[in-house]
Amino acid sequence: MTNPHTSPAALEGVRVVDLTDELGAYASRLLADLGAEVIRVEPPAGSATRRVEPIVDVDGEPVSAFELFVNAGKRSVVIDTSRPNGVAQLEDLISTSDLVIESPVPVLEEAGLDAERVRALKSDLCRVIITPYGLDQQPGWSPTDDLLVMASGGLLHLGGYPDIGPVAAYGGQSRFAASIFGAVAAMAALLQRDLDGTGSTYDVSAQECVAQALEDSAATYALTGRVRERQGDRPREAGSGVYPCRDGYVSMIAGRLGTARAWSALVAWLNEAGADGAAELLDPRWSTFAFRQTENAIEEFGRIFTAFAATRNKLDLYTEAQSRMIALSPVSTVADILANPQLLARDFFVDVPEQVGVVRFPRGPYRMSGTPLHDPRRAPALGADTELLGHDLVSGGAA
Amino acid sequence: MIGAPLAGVRVLDFCWIGAGALVTKTLAELGASVYRIESRSHPDNLRLAPPFRPGTEGIEASGYFASRNSSKQSVALNMKTDKGRELAVELVGKVDIVTSNFRPGIMERWGLGYKEVRERNPSVIYLTMPMQGESGPHASFVGFGSTIAALAGLVDLSAVPGRSPVGTGTHYPDHVPNPGHALVALLAAIRHRRRTGEGQRIEVAQFESTVNVIGPAIVAAGLGATPIATGNRSRTSIPHAAFRCRDEQWIVLSCETDSQWSALISALGLPYIERRSSIAGRRADEDSIESDLRSAIGRLDRSKLIELLDRAKVPNAPVNSSRDIVEDAGLWKRGFWRDVEHPVIGHIPISRSPFRLVDGPQPEVIRPPLLGENTFEVLHDQLGMSQEDYVQLVEERVLY
Repeated sequence: MTNPHTSPAALEGVRVVDLTDELGAYASRLLADLGAEVIRVEPPAGSATRRVEPIVDVDGEPVSAFELFVNAGKRSVVIDTSRPNGVAQLEDLISTSDLVIESPVPVLEEAGLDAERVRALKSDLCRVIITPYGLDQQPGWSPTDDLLVMASGGLLHLGGYPDIGPVAAYGGQSRFAASIFGAVAAMAALLQRDLDGTGSTYDVSAQECVAQALEDSAATYALTGRVRERQGDRPREAGSGVYPCRDGYVSMIAGRLGTARAWSALVAWLNEAGADGAAELLDPRWSTFAFRQTENAIEEFGRIFTAFAATRNKLDLYTEAQSRMIALSPVSTVADILANPQLLARDFFVDVPEQVGVVRFPRGPYRMSGTPLHDPRRAPALGADTELLGHDLVSGGAA
Repeated sequence: MIGAPLAGVRVLDFCWIGAGALVTKTLAELGASVYRIESRSHPDNLRLAPPFRPGTEGIEASGYFASRNSSKQSVALNMKTDKGRELAVELVGKVDIVTSNFRPGIMERWGLGYKEVRERNPSVIYLTMPMQGESGPHASFVGFGSTIAALAGLVDLSAVPGRSPVGTGTHYPDHVPNPGHALVALLAAIRHRRRTGEGQRIEVAQFESTVNVIGPAIVAAGLGATPIATGNRSRTSIPHAAFRCRDEQWIVLSCETDSQWSALISALGLPYIERRSSIAGRRADEDSIESDLRSAIGRLDRSKLIELLDRAKVPNAPVNSSRDIVEDAGLWKRGFWRDVEHPVIGHIPISRSPFRLVDGPQPEVIRPPLLGENTFEVLHDQLGMSQEDYVQLVEERVLY
């Protein structure tokens, strides 16, 4: 995805000082992909992200896949802010920068640089401070833990199983939520500065970022007093949910929210295929939403569909359902994703030469025709760019 | 104005249902004028979706629609009519951004594909959010947030070993990864346009966007691992689990350090067991540790337990329900929740976007529009439409 035009990158000339832990690291990764020069400042022992799961043993060395993913394309400098000289280095760096992103605490303030001092270093500096609960509500411990933020943000309440209890989604989703909206706030600050030269500071609460994902449940409580509970592995109505098949599971929505036609198409499919018991689904009572939400209907449909799917693979079910305009997808494993025909046809993967060898990455989350993204690049070794401190960095040389 | 970096930006918004509507909600809070095109001839499914306050019904009453369409203006335009499509094409010439999240082909059918739109408005920023992207063998495939999460690997990895996968239990990609990524791209494109005058096309394939939030698992596979679901368990923190309190409410705990573990056992009055004092020992004992904690925690009410753990500095959090979140005083104080009065729904809490200025005005959150509420105002201001023509077109069910 090289840029066929001579246009500058979207964030050409923007220098970002990255003072994040795992809560905010993906925010500056997004900005790096857009062409910003992102300089991570790490303590001598390395940033916390280097020890975040998933950890893979590569030739006896623990390597964090999280670290490689969220820090792709950044620079790394080591600054020991517990020493006066370190604080001075940080000040120099800030005075040449456009944006600072901090997490999970106000890092500059903890290093002794209050808002006034920072403003004196760079009057139009843009800042984003990402914390678990917002600047006015610091917890009595750090660092942040994904399970805790998922819980306090309310999404954990909707996940998991009725019998076992709440289970968090994979992969530290509170960090992605906080980082993605942290990047949105960073862009808002940069746009403000372009307009009127003002540097603004945004306070991003990871709890609020997770609470954006509560679907209808907050409005449901506010308007009806009903508290939505976790649904678990039981479909919420006949035709909508996760169902087992021969080689795994499929996820389907047929009948809910304006998909009435998909339900008819599903019943027709099961009948054409001669699925055991499918004739029963032709009974007119099955055409009503209310009936399909009854326990009996959920049970009965589950029995019919599971028997039908037991002899079929998820990819065959996927293509057949989609040819009938039914919203059914395979429940993909990571191996399935790496072999997905759509992603391969769209050239979605790229091999990145990491220090530990060539590693396959997904390309970025969007495609921009005028300012194409950088492909994922190698994450920097600890302190790889430290020697630039006081030289090129201060003179403002862009990557 | 500070806090309104998009003041003066105009958005012609064809987004509907989930992911797209949240994108333009944030644009509006950042100061853009968002003209939401909709029609009674084919209303947004969300306008028909619960929750409804008991005693209210119809296309103005949905709390779900309200929750993601605040601060926008609604323009009723029947895209099934020639004149409706003509007016849409005229509006294209007056705006900075055109947004949609249909399957590929719908905008083109209306004469609003990128090519046509760019001819009319060369510097337009044009956002589409197809599920699979505009190209490729599965471009026409359909899905919802939950099926996209499944396709993108998030569901398979979110499970307790031995049980069916559950994902988040919601249409999560619609709420965070896809609107959030789209916003980052849009704002970057606005910066580029302000500097160069150039517009561009942004495609957020929702599948690809969602794969990025399990990106570390893809990279782990590239390093030779096979990522699998582990429930709430973590290699680096033990315990790392949810527990039910005496009052049936849930709490989560995480002990990453040995000192947090010893603080936890003394706060709960659990016996000191030598081998559990290191993480390796706790890993070997994880089942019995969780079982010990289940009994101890099951004897305490949640608020009492939180008080105890906070005092001992043991990382913990309540598993907040929708009630807990809506009644969270801290979230109201921060201005996350806004009390909005709607003519049909009455008072309803609407959340602002999840970031706020430290020293600046907070965004206005304006009640969601009634269908077509701003039609005349927008068409008059943008296209110079007369009152007479407006009345005529309403009668003809073009502005409908």
